[in-house]
Amino acid sequence: MDLQILLELGNIGAGHAATSLSEILQQPVSIDVPKIDSLPTHMIPKFYNKHDCPTTALYTQLRGESRCDILLLLEVNEAAKIATMMTTAASPEEVDPAMGASAIEEMSNILVGSFLGAVSDFTSVKLVPTPPQHVVDSFDAIIDNFLVKQSLVSDETVVFETQFKRGEGTASCLLMMFPSKELQHALIEKSRQWIGNESTKADKPETICPSESTVNISNCTKL
Amino acid sequence: MQPELLASPCPVVQAQAVPTMEEIRVEMADMKVSRRPVEFITSVGSCVAICMHDSISKCGGLAHIMLPNSSMTIHDSLPYKYADTAVPALAEVLRKFGEGKIQLSAKITGGANMFRNLDNSLNIGARNVEAVKEALTVNGIRLLAEDVGGAHGRRVAFNVVTGIVLIQSLSGETKRL
Repeated sequence: MDLQILLELGNIGAGHAATSLSEILQQPVSIDVPKIDSLPTHMIPKFYNKHDCPTTALYTQLRGESRCDILLLLEVNEAAKIATMMTTAASPEEVDPAMGASAIEEMSNILVGSFLGAVSDFTSVKLVPTPPQHVVDSFDAIIDNFLVKQSLVSDETVVFETQFKRGEGTASCLLMMFPSKELQHALIEKSRQWIGNESTKADKPETICPSESTVNISNCTKL
Repeated sequence: MQPELLASPCPVVQAQAVPTMEEIRVEMADMKVSRRPVEFITSVGSCVAICMHDSISKCGGLAHIMLPNSSMTIHDSLPYKYADTAVPALAEVLRKFGEGKIQLSAKITGGANMFRNLDNSLNIGARNVEAVKEALTVNGIRLLAEDVGGAHGRRVAFNVVTGIVLIQSLSGETKRL
């Protein structure tokens, strides 16, 4: 999959989401996707190095002409910052927990909906989101469920690193995309057509592929 | 192998084990074995952590498996990713360390299903647990204890000297196997 195109789609989706959020909050909100990572599925926990970090996860299924799972991940303190941005609270401590959870789910609906809109427009594949499932647990344990399923379908996983800004406040989150094989093919096909139609090709995207650190028996015995 | 002392920018749940013991993290689809007094750490959701111990030589190893069966993906060269290949691999290293006289046993944890609708038909967590148990039986390794299933993540700390496995969830609940 061409990462540059995915990064563009990510930023288009983020832009639409920011517009929606700005309207809701009556304040300028910006959402950027400065970076996209594509790496071997089983390397993701090591790469992000968050392990036991308490994490808020929102899982949305996209269904319709194809399938895609979307996972939004935020450290709980980043989630609190976003909840503060979304409510009238002055600081994370003042956010009512139920209100905060609802605010995060709403943000997820807007962001995923906008992202999915960009993907659907690009691929012409119609997808509809289900309401998100909201889970709080450790980072590795959460992504483990998805990476296991993903490893049956693909050796690689794509992750969008996303930044929210409202006034002086910033918060970050990760969006992981798990498209079905059919949707992957649609993305690759459309990318090829799009690149074929463009006279100039964009610079190579930033791709981070950490080197394999497969442990073999001889490494083990050195311990 | 260098111990992993990686700084984390956010709060980390600390195990209540012997505080001076060196902690070594075992990543997904990875396996580590030691004859030094260390504590192996890993975090599992639907994956299963296999903690294998030799009570005679006081060596131990932890394998973090993702899938039941190596035939599920054709092009893979990661033996510690699968229950059926990781169990004999762990046993093999411990046999070498033990130099003949060994008494192997295992404790397992993980295999949760944290997201409803994610893979109800596949139920990878439960299948991982079954596959690990089968692999242990086939390889003649006694299963001493297990903490599996449920809907929450687990932080696992395996003390290779005592063979004790400490399991913590984010809610603070602790189990000792």
